[in-house]
Amino acid sequence: MKEEIVRAEGLRKTFSLSKKQQKIEKTHQAMKVAVDGLSFSAYRGEIYGLLGPNGAGKTTTLRMLSTLIRPDEGDAFLCGKSIVKEAQAVRDCIGFMTGELKLESFFTPDYLFDFFGMMHGMAKDAVAERKRELFHRFGIDRFAGVRVGDLSSGMKQKVSLVISIVHDPEIVIFDEPTNGLDVLTAKVVTDFLAELRGMGKSVILSTHIFSLVEKLCDRVGVIVEGKMLREGSLAEIMDGRSLEERFFELYLATGGVLQ
Amino acid sequence: MKLAALIKKEFFRFFRDPKLIATMILPGILIFFLYSLMGDLLWSEEQKYDFKTVYVGGESAIIQPLLQQAAVQLTGQEDWTLTPAEDVEQAKEAVREEKATALILFDENFDERILSYSPESGERAPQVRIYYCSADETSAAFYSLAISVLDAYESTVSNMFDVNLSDEVFDFSSEADVLVSLLGGFLPFLIVALIFSSCMSITLESVAGEKERGTLATVLVTSVRRSDIALGKVIPLSCISVIGALSSFLGVIFSFPKLMGISVSGMAGAFGISSYLQLLLSVCSVVPFIVALLTLVSAYSKSVKEASAYSGVVMIFVMVLSLAAGIVDMNGLWVAFVPVLGTVSCISRIMDLSVTLGMTLLTVGVNLVYTVVLIFLIAKMLSSERIMFGK
Repeated sequence: MKEEIVRAEGLRKTFSLSKKQQKIEKTHQAMKVAVDGLSFSAYRGEIYGLLGPNGAGKTTTLRMLSTLIRPDEGDAFLCGKSIVKEAQAVRDCIGFMTGELKLESFFTPDYLFDFFGMMHGMAKDAVAERKRELFHRFGIDRFAGVRVGDLSSGMKQKVSLVISIVHDPEIVIFDEPTNGLDVLTAKVVTDFLAELRGMGKSVILSTHIFSLVEKLCDRVGVIVEGKMLREGSLAEIMDGRSLEERFFELYLATGGVLQ
Repeated sequence: MKLAALIKKEFFRFFRDPKLIATMILPGILIFFLYSLMGDLLWSEEQKYDFKTVYVGGESAIIQPLLQQAAVQLTGQEDWTLTPAEDVEQAKEAVREEKATALILFDENFDERILSYSPESGERAPQVRIYYCSADETSAAFYSLAISVLDAYESTVSNMFDVNLSDEVFDFSSEADVLVSLLGGFLPFLIVALIFSSCMSITLESVAGEKERGTLATVLVTSVRRSDIALGKVIPLSCISVIGALSSFLGVIFSFPKLMGISVSGMAGAFGISSYLQLLLSVCSVVPFIVALLTLVSAYSKSVKEASAYSGVVMIFVMVLSLAAGIVDMNGLWVAFVPVLGTVSCISRIMDLSVTLGMTLLTVGVNLVYTVVLIFLIAKMLSSERIMFGK
């Protein structure tokens, strides 16, 4: 019996649109529904992929799960804790990695790792042990004393990744994990996600890259315009075809337009 | 432990960056040199002039010695004398060509005529004519000197009454009294202005800058309490701002005597240790309030640029309140409860030596209460997704 570690129940999020945004979106509606009643489950030791085009609501969903923003309706439970009522407890059991979270360029990876370890309430010894392990695993140890601002973008991404999981969280939430990475760093990151799964951790990632989902994910949720079109195991979703074929079939069946 | 780590990080950021340290300390040093220079210029000894020949036509046994004496004082040359003009036209030409400084012509029998002259007679008063070149600095200086000597003599001739004309001391204010009244009027405003600029330079960068760069969000995704993040900003930034405020404050204190032409020891003697301590306490208590206020503004803003614009408006309010304390007579207890106004009023009273310890402690307490309220509001703001993540 698989252990359910993430359960989203009817998540809904709306944003108000400024006049300028209304013009860009070619709408007169002052509100935009970013996520519309999204429900899904993810299990321990699995990688769950949220697949969808840009603007589908993937990032908004992940931001709600990581408690950066609150849902207008619905709730989600991570490690059994509610993102609405127990946000602080949720933050201790997740690691959130996204391009919008940056590290101060003035500090070194060494300092920042210690700092974020303390932000998660870790003991000094535990932080030091974890740092040794992760810095070695990602080849950061040679750059540990170099200011983040002086690192290459690939190395910065690696530093961001290790800092997001400094506290060894049960769930790792990853928004577009290979975006902007060179092929070598992307390989290191995807290999590490698979390794996390092997360690019994759960990963929830968002992406629009079919090959990444096919390669990594155990379960998939296809999102279009804030709604879950289909959810299930990778094999169930693909139904004997390629993921790309299956996605467009689902997309066009719901009235989606290819421009 | 999380709060300690947050505080440590801010200190680490500041003390490892020489540029930031310089921005805190430099204003004080600049103020010291600027004010000292202004004081030196203001209180420098009168310029010594080197008068060339001054011709005299006609004679006045009363005016000539007075002129001679004044000119010797101004030139510093004991042997300087007026030269009798043998040919008036030649003397005029010499002045015109700037070979001579001036030509003074007294009417005939000048002394006798002024002593016997009565305005009621309707006759023309005896005249002194001074020929000079105003474009020549020395000539113009002599003209001013001659006019002041003649005016002074004229007022003694037609003297009706005198005011305070003796060696007795009429002004009972000591040098210290004058100094404290000057300081009481001007310094509180200056101190608040310096504190505000010192707080602004680091708070905006630290809070709005972090928000703009996305590094604040990285901390928000950890389990640290929002109130700890707020305290983790306000406490270290206040300590750092105090350094800046003290630097500016010391710059003012040490250069002020020079600016006012008073000795440093005279200034130190005007205030007791208690006054200095109360002043320090008031300054140190208003810093966290201003830092918290600017942190609130920065947390609300999307960028440093936006925060600077809002802070400009806040600065106007703070400056108006600081000035109001100097202009309006603030006597009620209510003054202590108005932010900034209470502190400025307290500093004014410390400066004019009319403060009580209770009043200072009340001001400090009120500042702390306002700071706590602001920290609570900052924590609320940090929890607001509209403010923290609104586009």
